Amino acid sequence: MERSEHGNRLDTNSDYLFQLLCFLKLHTYTRVQVSIDICGVDYPSRKRRFEVIYNLLSTRYNSRIRVQISADEVTRISPVVSLFPSAGRWEREVWDMFGVSSINHPDLRRISTDYGFEGHPLRKDLPLSGYVEVRYDDPEKRVVSEPIEMTQEFRYFDFASPWEQRSDG
Amino acid sequence: MFLRAISRPLMAKVKQTTGIVGLDVVPNAKEVLISLYSKTLNEIQAVPPDEGYRKAVESFTKHRLKVCQEEEDWEAIEKRLGCGQVEELIEEARDELKLIEKMIEWDPWGVPDDYECEVIENDAPVPKHVPLHRPGPLPEEFYLTVGKLQLNSKGGTGESKAE
Repeated sequence: MERSEHGNRLDTNSDYLFQLLCFLKLHTYTRVQVSIDICGVDYPSRKRRFEVIYNLLSTRYNSRIRVQISADEVTRISPVVSLFPSAGRWEREVWDMFGVSSINHPDLRRISTDYGFEGHPLRKDLPLSGYVEVRYDDPEKRVVSEPIEMTQEFRYFDFASPWEQRSDG
Repeated sequence: MFLRAISRPLMAKVKQTTGIVGLDVVPNAKEVLISLYSKTLNEIQAVPPDEGYRKAVESFTKHRLKVCQEEEDWEAIEKRLGCGQVEELIEEARDELKLIEKMIEWDPWGVPDDYECEVIENDAPVPKHVPLHRPGPLPEEFYLTVGKLQLNSKGGTGESKAE
């Protein structure tokens, strides 16, 4: 399924992702040799809640294309690292931030979250300040993680309404 | 006279550099291209003849092969094809060969005729301050290929490779 506008987008099935990207990379008329970005989006209302988005660039034809694939928590995406070597870090990022893992990925570790972190930060159900984020030095002389304590409750600003918002409704 | 006989093959300008990092000059580019294109035309026979992929590949490969066989040196080939340097053409031909081999292995043919690729056209106007990235002009063989594909498609989608 394509969409042509001032930015091209191609929605696809997860079975043929690797084949599709391989075709896009190698075919003479779609020489897409550069992968700019791989990111994910969380739509919690959908059944397959995540969408993994591959932003690609063709330097030969000076055009960009975006390939989107929908996935849920247990779907495993085929890694495109063999096609686009820069995708290694992006796939690790998608795994870390969303929990969408890859089959036979050469190196799937966490990147950009802390070492003992549980959970996947960019999912919509993890709150903005997290659960166990307060860390401070102890008499034990190390950094510990405790359940979060906030001095001020989370303020919600409703910018849609022009009237002054009161904190307790 | 002796000197002239020797220097005649050197009259075709020697290419100094391609200007692209990592892409070396290939001195016998014409022979390499002809061999690659003939190999491509051989390999594409394994694809069922009705497929848009096969028609597209045959169309532009035959066109490029014809141009390579007619012209003598690389500069004339480049100018006539309008597709960039001959080294880039060699890269493209090699990649296409790899792709054909993989397509034969994956076997995506046989999409049913009523499968329609849903194309959503979005004509929303772009605000004036946003730069539009218009791709450059395409080589004319591209339009030849597209024309051939649309001529031969039977009413369904001509390019049935996006699955």
